[in-house]
Amino acid sequence: MSGKLNLPVFYKGLMIICIISLFSFSLFASEYQLQVAKGNTAYSTGNYKEAVQAYTSLVTQGLESTDLFYNLGNSYFKLNDMPHAILWYERAKRLDPGNEDVTFNLNVANSKITDKIEPLPEFFLKRWLRSLTDLFSVDAWAKAGIAFLLAALALFSIYIASRVLVLRKLGFWTGFLTLVFSVIFLILAWTGNNSRMTEQSAIIINPTVTVKSSPDEKSTDIFVIHEGCKVLLVDHIGNWYEIRIVNGSVGWVDMGNFEKI
Amino acid sequence: MYNNIYMVFRRLLLVIGFLAMFAAGFSQEVTLTGSAKTTVSVGESFTLTYTLNSQGTDFRGPRLTGFDVISGPFTSTSSSIQSYNGRTTVSVHYSFQYILQANREGTFDIPPATVNVDRRTITSNSITIKVMKTGTAQPGNSQGQQYGNSQQQSNVQTGPNDVMLKAYVSNTNPLQGEGISVTYKIFTKVPVSQIMFSKEPSFPGFWSQSLTKEKEKLQQYTQVIDGQQYIVADLRKYTLFPLKSGRLTIEPLEMVCQAQIKRQSKSRTGDPFFDDFFNDSFFNTSYTPVEKSLRASPLVINVKPLPSAGVPGDFAGAVGNFTFHTELDRTRVKTNEAINLKCVVSGEGNLQLIDKLNFTFPPDFETYDPKVSNDIRSSEKGVSGSQVFEYLIIPRKPGKFILKAVPFSFFDLKKMKYVTLTSPEYTIEVEKGTGEAANITYTGSNHEEIKYIGSDIRHIKNQAFDVRKSGEYFFGSLAFLLWLVIPLALFFIFIILFRKFSKRRSDVVLMKNLRATKIARKRLRKAELFLKEQKQEEFYVEISQALWGYLGDKFSLPVAELSIDNVKQTLISKQVSEDLIQNFIDTLNNTEYARFAPGEKSGNMERVFNEGLAVISRIERELK
Repeated sequence: MSGKLNLPVFYKGLMIICIISLFSFSLFASEYQLQVAKGNTAYSTGNYKEAVQAYTSLVTQGLESTDLFYNLGNSYFKLNDMPHAILWYERAKRLDPGNEDVTFNLNVANSKITDKIEPLPEFFLKRWLRSLTDLFSVDAWAKAGIAFLLAALALFSIYIASRVLVLRKLGFWTGFLTLVFSVIFLILAWTGNNSRMTEQSAIIINPTVTVKSSPDEKSTDIFVIHEGCKVLLVDHIGNWYEIRIVNGSVGWVDMGNFEKI
Repeated sequence: MYNNIYMVFRRLLLVIGFLAMFAAGFSQEVTLTGSAKTTVSVGESFTLTYTLNSQGTDFRGPRLTGFDVISGPFTSTSSSIQSYNGRTTVSVHYSFQYILQANREGTFDIPPATVNVDRRTITSNSITIKVMKTGTAQPGNSQGQQYGNSQQQSNVQTGPNDVMLKAYVSNTNPLQGEGISVTYKIFTKVPVSQIMFSKEPSFPGFWSQSLTKEKEKLQQYTQVIDGQQYIVADLRKYTLFPLKSGRLTIEPLEMVCQAQIKRQSKSRTGDPFFDDFFNDSFFNTSYTPVEKSLRASPLVINVKPLPSAGVPGDFAGAVGNFTFHTELDRTRVKTNEAINLKCVVSGEGNLQLIDKLNFTFPPDFETYDPKVSNDIRSSEKGVSGSQVFEYLIIPRKPGKFILKAVPFSFFDLKKMKYVTLTSPEYTIEVEKGTGEAANITYTGSNHEEIKYIGSDIRHIKNQAFDVRKSGEYFFGSLAFLLWLVIPLALFFIFIILFRKFSKRRSDVVLMKNLRATKIARKRLRKAELFLKEQKQEEFYVEISQALWGYLGDKFSLPVAELSIDNVKQTLISKQVSEDLIQNFIDTLNNTEYARFAPGEKSGNMERVFNEGLAVISRIERELK
């Protein structure tokens, strides 16, 4: 008889974990709603400078959110500060690569900057994997992976516990499928996290930046990029960073010229 | 004036010359005579002629100071045979000509020239020429004055100021958009024909309109400039509107014409009286056409920008003084009926540059580009008239629509500020018309594509959203690991526990088997108790239950299936010996029999108990 009691206990445990984690996510949300509301009102009345201040005060408190960064990017856009608008959109995109509004506004902002660089074509599998990874944020993938894992385990439990043949078959195959999905989602979360951890990009803030051939002010000028241009940080020596732009060109730039995403 | 005096003087000389000729006869003497105008102005070109009335060689011209030799010396010869009173004279004339230009002011002596005639050196007279300042003899200012190119091969010359082309501007410092007029005039002292415009003026940075009509006869009038009378004709007139501010240059008009210049004699007798006589217009009326290229100098217009303060948002460059008037023919219509909206801008200024008004119609209205017509009168004073925009609007959907007020802004030149006129706001009520479907043919469905008017970023997220500590990611966090590990662990615990449970459940049969003897014994012990107490009823129930229950438990047979036949078959399948089966069945039968048989029962009870005990024990032994 003790074996039959085990299943409800298992689910009850899951429920408790679920509630605790949800609760912890929304714990300190209410404290900052005021500041967010202040920024939103300022933005809606066209007071973009005030909106920027309100949102930035949240950021300096060490908080982040896709929507917060998105709103901040919008405020900078309205102030016609394209490099900062792009910077914050990129930061929002980093948190949630699949956010449609962020992508839309980022494209609008990018259409207003000086540099138009043709990106190097990427290997198609890599491109597919990247676009698949970018559909959702890393955490969304991770949560989906765990949800599917739970579903798979529940279905396997049905397979094991049931004495009805149809249910056993159904439980096994659907459980197997959900487990496969779960593994895929977790892998996507892992790759997304990998690129987030290893690929550090930056946005050029200064109006015109001359890219040098080596980390030295006296070295040869290779090319010139302008504000709003996105660069990948490859390496750094002291204050000098080796950057790569989307067309594959590489050079060195002083730290003061850009802001990390 | 000078010419007239000269002419009278020449005629006087001619008459005196005739008289002298008769008196003196023809005493021939070789002479070299130099002649030229005695008064010239700086820059003027004139002819210096030396005439020799014989054949001569080795002409040596004078050293000229104060003059530039433009061309020369040309040598020309003429011979004439004169027969007078039986005497025939053959005279040969040599003439040497220079075309000179005075280059500075002052009085200059031209020293004598020499020529050899019959190994004799003949010396000419010296000439004194007074050179005067420019402007005293030259009409007009330097602007607009061009020197004709001396293209003729002959010695025919035109004065630099005989034909002039000048440009006049009404205002060289207009505001941007303010109208100015430019007139090209020809000034001439000599008859001019075959006027050809080699290059029309161009007005970069201006909107221009020509005021001269093609094939119009040129109006001529006379004008006196610096004491000289000229015939003047307006060749070209333009109204210009500067489109931008700054220094704008008008490329000039260029033209070629034939100037009719009086021929100067090539044959000279050496006698000034004769020369003058035959060269007089009375005798020599032929004119030589001389091609002259004329070019007005470029005009520089300094266009001032319009004030940057207070520019209305809809200002589109209209400058002048305008009135604005709109008219809607009706405000209550049915769907698919046309409405006419007439807008009239009238006044003075750059009317033609007003090309559209910023009407925005409700999107459900079908509108067309406006029909633009104008009634514009241009003159030197400016451009006035009206520009009419007629809009045709067809409402396609019923409802109440508001035609927003439209501003029209211009820069008022008199007040020197921007003025905005606004049309009234119209409300149009559209009722659903009848027979809509019959009137309109829709291609495909009547769905409409969304029209994109502008592009902007999407609005901010206004609803409350959650924030979290930055750098706190779910992936890789402890919670994530726990979520991953705990369910898996629970799952495996579940599997282990479930395995154990189901194993035990499969042992139930064995357990029952084991318990069968125990229960049977318990029941037999109970029966023994009833036996001692001589409770017959209870005793037989216990015995019967002990036997049947033992079989049921032992062979997992449900109570409903317990019957003699079933028991027999089960025992056979378990390979119990025949006699034991028979023994067991007999015991069961005996028990039933004794239980329900009447009579003395106490002796039977003892026997039944012993049999039951014995048979259970035997089966126990046999099955092991």
